Amino acid sequence: MKVITTKGVVKIYNPDKIPVKALNGVDLEITEGEFTAIVGPSGSGKTTLLNVIGGLDRPDEGDVEVGGHDIDAMSDNQLIDFRKEHIGFVFQAYNLIPVLTARENVEFVMLLQNRPKKERRERAEELLRAVGLEDKMDKRPSELSGGQQQRVAVARALAPKPDFILADEPTANLDSKSTANLLDIMARLNEEEKITFVFSTHDQRVIDRARRVVTLVDGKVATDEVREGKV
Amino acid sequence: MIPIMAWRNIWRSMTRSLVVMGAIAVGIWAALSLTGFATGMVKSYVNNAVQNIVSHIQVHQPEFLDENEVKYNIPDLMAVEQAVRAEPGVRAVSVRSVANGMISSSQGARGVAIKGVEPEEEARVNALNENIVDGEYFSGDSRNPILVSDELAQKLNVKVRSKVVLNFQDRGGSITAAAFRIVGIFDTGNNPFDLSHVFVRRSDLNHLLIPAADSTQSADALAHEIAIMVDDIRNVDTIASSLRAELPGLKVQTYRQISPDLQLYEGQIKNISLIYLTVIMLALVFGIINTMLMAVLERIKELGMLMAIGMNKLKVFLMIVLESVMLGLVAMPVGLILGYITIDYVGENGIDMSMYAEGLENFGMSSIIYFELDPVVYGQVAVGVFLTAVLASIYPALKAIRLKPVEALRTI
Ligand SMILES: Nc1ncnc2c1ncn2[C@@H]1O[C@H](COP(=O)(O)OP(=O)(O)OP(=O)(O)O)[C@@H](O)[C@H]1O
Ligand SMILES: [Mg+2]
Repeated sequence: MKVITTKGVVKIYNPDKIPVKALNGVDLEITEGEFTAIVGPSGSGKTTLLNVIGGLDRPDEGDVEVGGHDIDAMSDNQLIDFRKEHIGFVFQAYNLIPVLTARENVEFVMLLQNRPKKERRERAEELLRAVGLEDKMDKRPSELSGGQQQRVAVARALAPKPDFILADEPTANLDSKSTANLLDIMARLNEEEKITFVFSTHDQRVIDRARRVVTLVDGKVATDEVREGKV
Repeated sequence: MIPIMAWRNIWRSMTRSLVVMGAIAVGIWAALSLTGFATGMVKSYVNNAVQNIVSHIQVHQPEFLDENEVKYNIPDLMAVEQAVRAEPGVRAVSVRSVANGMISSSQGARGVAIKGVEPEEEARVNALNENIVDGEYFSGDSRNPILVSDELAQKLNVKVRSKVVLNFQDRGGSITAAAFRIVGIFDTGNNPFDLSHVFVRRSDLNHLLIPAADSTQSADALAHEIAIMVDDIRNVDTIASSLRAELPGLKVQTYRQISPDLQLYEGQIKNISLIYLTVIMLALVFGIINTMLMAVLERIKELGMLMAIGMNKLKVFLMIVLESVMLGLVAMPVGLILGYITIDYVGENGIDMSMYAEGLENFGMSSIIYFELDPVVYGQVAVGVFLTAVLASIYPALKAIRLKPVEALRTI
């Protein structure tokens, strides 16, 4: 069982000018298989936390361990490789490579992993089918709706078989129908494939479907609530 | 997939890419054409000088070159001439007597080199017969005919059929004078040469050079200079060295040795093309840097995302370099083909420069320049453009990999 552990994580922006403590001692443990929402007011540190546990950013204090890897000990290039193998990202926007088709976008990370062509192709098609885009495989991002783009982004994040998928406000730019649709897909992947999702959100409809809700306030975990029952 | 991405990326800003490609193509075209022009100009100068003045190879008695005195004639002329004519690759030979002296008319006098030639032989070595602008080339029967240039005729205020007097030392050291009649006026296009040379028949000159008291020297066997044209100018050095081996006591010189300026000009062709190439590449470097920098700066978010999802710095770097190289590689054939067409066309038809450079002929060049280009230059240009594209992409590529994914993703 792989785990993300943060201990006393502090992240300070602008340490020289007007320091901003984006994270102020976060202790958190996320286990494989979770479907967890990080919530909190704007500026509470959600994005910063996701970046730190995803190895996109380094904490100023404290420890971050992802699946037994110590993030702090890695060089920039090692971090890139680490993310490639272990973390799938879904951002709020600008997820996709505009010059590549949906299928090529999904294949891209597998290509970086040097997977054989046949495997890449089959898995990309399988994943796009899983997110309901079997008829959009050869479309470029500009030809897809926002919701469709985010679904491609989820498929792309899944492609390298990462341990965790981190999504920073994945539904922020979507209408309610696309939001529901994307969440259905994520929830199903979590149920059926045991894919771990950690996502930040402001949206109450999204929060309602999470099985664990971590609330940040001023860079600290204020509440951490595990809900029983169906997603 | 990275090459595919790079390729598609360059077409994202179609206009911008087309502009920079156009600049590269025009740069290549300009580098080739300018080099072709310079080469054509130098070749024209060299050819003019070779055809009208120096010929490919000249043979002298070494002291004659130093002292310029008529007593230093080529010994054993018959044998030497035979050896020269028998040399493979030799196309035409002219045996000349040369005296330095003075030409005078009632209006003035000038120092000249008097070349005594066999008219028919000389016409095969020299374009003199084609350069006659008035009168004719040594008409058959007139006594002591002489050819002078139009510049000299003007200075002396003489024309065809005018009489002039030549003064020079004979082999005995005494000054002789003889009257000659102008039968033709020539113009080689090289003013300094034209002003200082006149042509007479060798037999006429030889009679005057040998004093009556001297019975040891026959007029037929007196000559100071053998001018040679070869079949192919590229063989001039081998033929010259073979002649040197055969004619040990004589000085055998190629046109480059006779006229070091020709060698200098010929040698400059390479430098000229490198200079043009460098200047144009420098201009292109800035154009490409600018384009690639824009391409990087407008894609900061995307590059951040690529690094976030696991594209390492080397691959990002290579992608940017590849985009720049592709810009160059698309433009390159266009520029090379345009350049080739230009050089081929102007090489065939020539370009008349008389409108732009009136004085060209005074410098010994013809006013019609035929472009010419060593094929190697196409390769140099291709390599140069490739290197330029790579070099120009390094700074933008470094900029791209210095981005921090988090910050890049945050930018609006
Ligand atoms: N690069 C930065 N430089 C300076 N301050 C920053 C930077 N990034 C974030 N911050 C600050 O750190 C704090 C936490 O930011 P963060 O983006 O993590 O919040 P958030 O919870 O994701 O907010 P939101 O809901 O608006 O996305 C905020 O006060 C923010 O202004
Ligand atoms: Mg945020």
